[in-house]
Amino acid sequence: MRSVLQASAKKRGLVLDPRTKLLLLVTVAVFVLGGAGGEALRWATPCLCAVSLALLITAGKYKTAAVCVAIYVLMDTLQRSFGGRTEGIVNFLLLASAGILTRFLPSIITGAYVVSTTTVSEFSAAMRRMHISERLVIPLSVMFRFFPTIGDEFSHINAAMRMRGVSLGGGNAGKMVEYRLVPLLFCSVKIGEELSAAALTRGLGADVKRTNVCEIGFHAQDVAVLILCIAPYVYLILNAVGVL
Amino acid sequence: MKTNKLNGKDLINVGVFSAIYAVIVIALAMLGYIPIFMPLLALIGPIFGGIPFMLFLTRVKKFGMILMMSVIMGILMLLTGMGYYSILVGIISGWIAEMVYKSGDYRSTKKAVLTSGVFSLWIWGNFIPLFTNITGYFSTRQDFGQAYIDALTRLMPLWMCPTLLVAAFVGGILGGLLGRAVLKKHFIKAGIA
Repeated sequence: MRSVLQASAKKRGLVLDPRTKLLLLVTVAVFVLGGAGGEALRWATPCLCAVSLALLITAGKYKTAAVCVAIYVLMDTLQRSFGGRTEGIVNFLLLASAGILTRFLPSIITGAYVVSTTTVSEFSAAMRRMHISERLVIPLSVMFRFFPTIGDEFSHINAAMRMRGVSLGGGNAGKMVEYRLVPLLFCSVKIGEELSAAALTRGLGADVKRTNVCEIGFHAQDVAVLILCIAPYVYLILNAVGVL
Repeated sequence: MKTNKLNGKDLINVGVFSAIYAVIVIALAMLGYIPIFMPLLALIGPIFGGIPFMLFLTRVKKFGMILMMSVIMGILMLLTGMGYYSILVGIISGWIAEMVYKSGDYRSTKKAVLTSGVFSLWIWGNFIPLFTNITGYFSTRQDFGQAYIDALTRLMPLWMCPTLLVAAFVGGILGGLLGRAVLKKHFIKAGIA
């Protein structure tokens, strides 16, 4: 058991507390994706992106990191070199797709890092430390565990339906949505039932305080990331108060 | 055994259906990058979301599940950079939806369709920044290109604000009806609705 834990800890590289990761995710969403603070906080964007990317690399996700960087560089180059030279619909498509991809990539990188390095038990341990109600923690952890499942099932259903000609080019376009959603719902419901049976055997429904083996806590690396995450908020508040 | 407290199974159901609902809404939201689809999202999202939502409602027998799903949608929207308005709207609309479905004793299908309409109002929260602060919204989105910004600004005059709220409600009702039809056609027969 111990070796298993060590192996996973080693594979995950720099171990951060789940709470730090969540703060990083929210910060990236608010400042990079949501653009809070406007131009004044432009400096925060590259810092946060660099941290997320570095964390993703320490977690050993070289391929994901490389693909994200490649897309970012490609889109940025396209935007810079052709943005002013094209016109009309081409310009519109180019700028919109480049703008959207470059805007969403940092969040995707951070999200990929958080999801791929946080186990469900770590997540619920962190949530419990923050005294968040079980009623919110259980649905949230089920949901995050469920997203990959949905993607997986959907790609299988999609393949089956394409084979039967239920696709855009297959002449049954009208049935496309129904023939994909209904099987997806069926298998999701079944998986959900299995999940609740498994969770009940682990005492999820019982009125007792559950224990958790995950050791979470803040270390030096957490403090560094936390300071970086809090800085933009402090700047925003100081700016609002009028000090800066 | 029959208590009003939510147990593990209920909470897991909330998680599972929130995940399906979120995937559908977020996948549709990608259409929003074609400006004309942006306002239409308030209508399309709830229509397709209605199918899982109606199936979800067949599992709801206790107070709190709809509200929780609504709050979770708000949290997800915050994480995907749509701002915090959806959480605020979601808490209110989710609570009303909860009341509506409760008044039908968690059984009435007519009330379920209405619940779907009220629940869908959370999606309106995503559009609020476009009306309260459109220059601020776009000041950080200059890289989308001026053509996109102009097109979207033209599509979003102030009267669109209440229109979108109504559109979300109508979308939810249509989605509820669609969901009910799909339930009848597939799920009741199979015994999982």
